[in-house]
Amino acid sequence: MSLLAGDLRAFLAAARKELRIVRRYPLNYVGGLFWGALLPAAYVLMGKAYSGGGDPRAMAAFADRAGTTEFAGFVFVGYAMYMWLSSFLWGPGTALRREQIQGSLEATMLTPVSRLVLLFGPGMAAIPSMLFTFAVTVVTLWLMFGFVPPVGSIVPVAVVVLVALPAMYAIGSLFAAGVLRYGEIGPVVQIVRGTFVLACGITFPLAMLPAWAQAGAAILPPTYIVGDIRAAILQQVALPGLVADLAVTLGLTAITATLAIVVFRYLEASARRSGMLGRY
Amino acid sequence: MDELRAAIAIGKKDLTVLSRYRIAVVSQIFQPLYQGVIPAFLFGASFAVAGHVVGLEASVGTENLAGFIFLGGVISGLVATSFWAMAMGLRNEMDAGTLEPVWLTPTRHETLVIGRALGGIVWFLISQVVLFAIGIVVFGLRFDAGIILAVPAVVVATFGMVGVAYLLASVVLLIRDANFFIDCTNFLFGVASGVAFPVTLLPAVLQPVALFLPTTYAMDILRQQAIGARPTFDPLLEYVGLIATTVVLYPMGRWAFARAEHTIRVRGALGQY
Repeated sequence: MSLLAGDLRAFLAAARKELRIVRRYPLNYVGGLFWGALLPAAYVLMGKAYSGGGDPRAMAAFADRAGTTEFAGFVFVGYAMYMWLSSFLWGPGTALRREQIQGSLEATMLTPVSRLVLLFGPGMAAIPSMLFTFAVTVVTLWLMFGFVPPVGSIVPVAVVVLVALPAMYAIGSLFAAGVLRYGEIGPVVQIVRGTFVLACGITFPLAMLPAWAQAGAAILPPTYIVGDIRAAILQQVALPGLVADLAVTLGLTAITATLAIVVFRYLEASARRSGMLGRY
Repeated sequence: MDELRAAIAIGKKDLTVLSRYRIAVVSQIFQPLYQGVIPAFLFGASFAVAGHVVGLEASVGTENLAGFIFLGGVISGLVATSFWAMAMGLRNEMDAGTLEPVWLTPTRHETLVIGRALGGIVWFLISQVVLFAIGIVVFGLRFDAGIILAVPAVVVATFGMVGVAYLLASVVLLIRDANFFIDCTNFLFGVASGVAFPVTLLPAVLQPVALFLPTTYAMDILRQQAIGARPTFDPLLEYVGLIATTVVLYPMGRWAFARAEHTIRVRGALGQY
């Protein structure tokens, strides 16, 4: 069996193991249901207070900045991205950390499989929760606020989500690598997630940020993903209108994934020298 | 007097432990800022017309967006102190394996929660001073001197929240792994108290719940006095509601705590987690 086929088999085994662990803790999905539905719902009610219950002048001002008056949809799409970021920033890092705490990280490192399997395998745990969150978002929007995404947006949104998966995966893997150096990366993940929330226009229109912050947002994949899903659902922008953004997202994904591999290799070498692999 | 000394010692111990984790200290100040205040401020400002938040003025009678958000943060912080510092503190003792030895001391068990309340409230006051300073310098936070008149209402609500903490502590003792429970109920309690938006915008089924929370009235009184917000109810009725809910919640919490303590002693569950 070629080396590549062996690595592929190992990756599938790692993915199967992660998905099995996810399946063993179904109560975790209660949290996804609760936060995925109620957190954005509270934000929508804040929007009602800030808009004076739909004051035409306030709504026009919001539309001018966000490109839509449908702020419930705007908020829910943003919070779906927030939940995805949470899943992908916590998921792979937590999985590596769990291996470290259980004492199986060193044993796994001794196998002849590519390190890329160790880096990208844990990310599989976050995919079911990402899809679940998206389903919760759509159903809550429909049941609580009577908003149904137009049928025409299904294909563009599906394509954006397909492009988003590797992008989010790469971001999660990049921060998971930090486990090899720091062990506990919880506080860092909190700060990084907070930065994404502020920089990518997740809960407010990007136009509210100063120019320098908007320039920073332009190099973060979630900015394009959340913007494109909003454009497809709330402004009925068709797929050709999103192609440029999707190309940028793919480019940024490639850069992030390469960075994750480089950082992981560097930190692995450092962890081998310092003996950090088995410490926690 | 001995109980007071014990409560102060517990509060000092909690503050000492917290001060040992400097990143956690910084995080507790800045997390509300970047996860709550800044996104809410920018979201609210996106409805502004020529710098005036006309929608907020129509909703609550003031366009003071920063004041509305930061004062919501005061009650939100008080709720979080009650849920995490007072109630969930018992879980931390469980994890550290010190709950049983503490329970064996001659200190009354209710004092353990009071001690945590003292430590939590000191930290709450420090963090609010820092947050308000940031608000004034960075977000243009302004409020009237009348805010002083709302202090008694916040103090009464604090006693009510100690009662709520007793109720929660009884749940923590019984279900042990209470992280998700505390996280969810903390969020719902804050939302139902009107920290993020007026309680009149809550779904009809939840509005009666808001009437049973002392923080709902304290929130309204605080915003009336500090930024001139329109009262949700008659101000006199709000004081009556605040005192009545506190008077009910405090003994109810003590009773639930005593029952939970008796149950776990019978089951021998004090050391289990």
